[in-house]
Amino acid sequence: MPPADGGVAARPGKYLTFNLGEESYGITVLVVREIIRLCPITPVASMPAHVKGVINLRGKVIPVVDLRTRFGLPPRADDDRTCVIVTELAGATGASRLHGVIVDRVDEVAAFAAADIEPTPDFGGAIDVRFLTGMAKASGRVTALIDLDPELAAAPSDSSPSR
Amino acid sequence: MTHAEESSAAADRVGKVLQQIGLELAFAAPGQAASATTLDDLFTSLLVALPDSAPAALVAGVTAAAERLLTVAGGVVRPSAEALAYLAAWHPWCEEALAAWGAGRPVTTWQPTTASGETAAAPPATAAPAPPAAVTVAPPAPAATAPSTPAAPLPDLPELSVDVLPADADPDLLHLFCAEAQDLLRDIEQGVLALETDPGDSGQINALFRAFHTFKGNAGVMKLAVLQQFTHELESLLDHARRGSLALGREAIGVILAGADVLERFVAELAAQVAGTRPPEALSLPIPAVIEATRRVMESPAAAGPVAEAPARVPPPVAPPVAPAPPAPAVASAVAIGPAPTGPSAVGASPPVVPVAASVAPTPVAHQALPVTAAPPPAAAAPATPRGAPARVASGAIVRVDTHKLDSLIDLVGELVIAQSMVVQHPDLVASGDTHLSRAVGQLRGITSDLRRTAMALRMVPIRGTFQKMARLVRDLALQQGKEIQLVLEGEETELDRTVVDDLSDPLVHMIRNSADHGIEPPAEREAAGKPRQGTITLQACHQGGYIVIRIRDDGRGLSPERIRRKAEERGIVAAGATLDRREVLELIFAPGFSTAETVTDLSGRGVGMDVVRRTISGLRGKIEIDSTVGSGTTFTLSVPLTLAIIEGLLVGVAGERYVIPTLSVRESFRLQPEMVSRLQGRGEMVMVHGRLVPLLRLRQRLGLDGAAPDGVVVVVEAGALSRCLLVDDLIGKQEVVIKDLGEIFRDRTDFAGAAILGDGRVGLILDVAALVQLRGRQGEAAA
Repeated sequence: MPPADGGVAARPGKYLTFNLGEESYGITVLVVREIIRLCPITPVASMPAHVKGVINLRGKVIPVVDLRTRFGLPPRADDDRTCVIVTELAGATGASRLHGVIVDRVDEVAAFAAADIEPTPDFGGAIDVRFLTGMAKASGRVTALIDLDPELAAAPSDSSPSR
Repeated sequence: MTHAEESSAAADRVGKVLQQIGLELAFAAPGQAASATTLDDLFTSLLVALPDSAPAALVAGVTAAAERLLTVAGGVVRPSAEALAYLAAWHPWCEEALAAWGAGRPVTTWQPTTASGETAAAPPATAAPAPPAAVTVAPPAPAATAPSTPAAPLPDLPELSVDVLPADADPDLLHLFCAEAQDLLRDIEQGVLALETDPGDSGQINALFRAFHTFKGNAGVMKLAVLQQFTHELESLLDHARRGSLALGREAIGVILAGADVLERFVAELAAQVAGTRPPEALSLPIPAVIEATRRVMESPAAAGPVAEAPARVPPPVAPPVAPAPPAPAVASAVAIGPAPTGPSAVGASPPVVPVAASVAPTPVAHQALPVTAAPPPAAAAPATPRGAPARVASGAIVRVDTHKLDSLIDLVGELVIAQSMVVQHPDLVASGDTHLSRAVGQLRGITSDLRRTAMALRMVPIRGTFQKMARLVRDLALQQGKEIQLVLEGEETELDRTVVDDLSDPLVHMIRNSADHGIEPPAEREAAGKPRQGTITLQACHQGGYIVIRIRDDGRGLSPERIRRKAEERGIVAAGATLDRREVLELIFAPGFSTAETVTDLSGRGVGMDVVRRTISGLRGKIEIDSTVGSGTTFTLSVPLTLAIIEGLLVGVAGERYVIPTLSVRESFRLQPEMVSRLQGRGEMVMVHGRLVPLLRLRQRLGLDGAAPDGVVVVVEAGALSRCLLVDDLIGKQEVVIKDLGEIFRDRTDFAGAAILGDGRVGLILDVAALVQLRGRQGEAAA
């Protein structure tokens, strides 16, 4: 598990890049199981705002997280590019867990070499860098590489009102 | 030589069938229809397997025996002891004849014994019954040392060579089997020893019976058919004892010990072979002898004399009964038989009722009894190697499957059910009006529901194991407390989901303890009350709808509502003077911190029992009810869903969302009229239901959904003694749903017990009624 201060450097490799508004993000393809279209979400009461609820993924009930809300970006109406990235992460119990992540649109799978990746700059506490593992510069743009593990597994309890 | 080779190949095929017949004969008992059918089939196979080139004498012999079986046993008629004796004598001849044919020697003609009732007559041409064969695994020389040291004199029967390693078995499972078997054998030995001092101890007999029963079951699972059948014999003996139709005398105990020895040797060998420290070989065991002794004990329950002295139907034993394997003379006795120079099976000839199985050392020459290790037997003398043969007979039709595979199968079936209903309910399809299509869809629906039922049945196991644990518990409790208690088990075969069985064990232990500890009075007190000295606890299971209902009934002193109430008031569980009906008073024993025992005992009465029981049962989505009459006993009734995977749910709508309420928790529902609601202190809302005030919970507010629905439908739910009115917008219907885990992220969301995928593919949340009902405490705090 990476420390919460974002000290883990992103490794070179293939990343799935996606957009939230104008911002570009990347997650390692190793955790991506599939990408599905947005489907009806069943809300679960008293959960943090970014936990939108649960969906039926071919018989499995999986939680869905809205990354936009989680990152404090303004809400945006869903369109036909809005989609859910289904990730498979090791849960607290060790068993792998599926999560859905709502993003504005999926961009591409990009290969980042070690030279492309820079460590996360110091934002002076202005933004939450817990899940940032590095910044990749390639094809003339900057992609924030993120680690969804602390984001999905820990965030609900971190921001849960009950704790 | 070519002729001999051809013959030997055919003889090999025939030999295999013959081996099966032998094994079947070894276990066949007079009057068993099943064995007659099997034998009939085997004889048919035998006749088919015999080639035209077979010697006429052999064919004639086989035909004669087959006809004999047909006339006497008739295929469906139960075989008489006489018919079995005939076949028992015939079988060794046939083996011998086969061996002779394979070796190109002349075949002796089959001469049935005096067909009169004198079944004990020795088979033809047998001068004297041969001594038992040596253990085939061991080197031939020290034959006398090889067999087990029998605890009882056993009939003088040859040993049965059995394959130790079952075919295609999982070494891990075998390892588990061995470990468990060794535990069981330890229990058996201790139990038998205890019985020796107190032969009438029904608890011990029961425990022994169960140990053998478990052993049998395990052996069946491992496809150790021979072991399974063997254990079955011993189990039957104990079953007789258990039912009181047989007194366990010294000889019976000796037989059981001898049986345990056989099992022990087998398990030790199996463990060694699984571990690879011994080569996979067959093992010779005195199984026929033990079985014969077992049957004799069972047949003469009263006058069961020393087993060895009872061989009225066995030819005079040559060997002293206690020394099962006299060494060398085997060779000598071989010569005594018939015209065949080398082969005839004197060994197999002796036992009239329990014939030697096919794989018993086929020839008397000592080294030929070692089909695997010894020097090659002369020219295909052995019809077939014993290897593999026992496992083929009556192989247990049980397959061990990884539970993960089962679970994923059941998941998939659940998805199929959903997909099916999505198709069936699709508007286009409904509107099409095509009869062909609708018929096809109907068929699809039928198959799907059959498939689901079958898939669910895969996970079902009988509750027997859990029940039987209780017998031991009751016995110990009774001993400890100087009470006399018998436990009556009913419906042990009732099946339920494997996962539920495991979770039921602890609550049952608690309740049985309660009954034994608080319920059943000491013998003197019972007599004073005009009851039998011995108290009875009945543990009963049955199916009711989708639930298993378990009743624990004792005929003890019953629960006194006054005492419960007093205690509850003392402990501040209930306010003094609160109006409670009888049921509610009884329900108080489930309250945390409640205990009615005047003295705290080692076993129960610390007030930790019943609330834990209720919590566990709720966790299984079940419920527990109590009924008691002072002076005549208490009954606990548990209803638990047969499976944790599917529940029947009431589908309700709340603010556009659908929720599932488990039907078991729903008592009733009705449309809410504004005047039904009374407010307390302007906050708590109550609804009058059958003259009682029940707190109202508006689900819209509870679930954080917008909008107020002034009137809607009230669903009265209950969990334990607590009930609550849930206000929903409308009722949508009843539906069986497959329960899905909500996942880690929602672990703290106690309002929901899980999720279900509804007919349209969307997810519906299942309400956790137990949690919603408990909200009273929290609200009370808020109001204070």
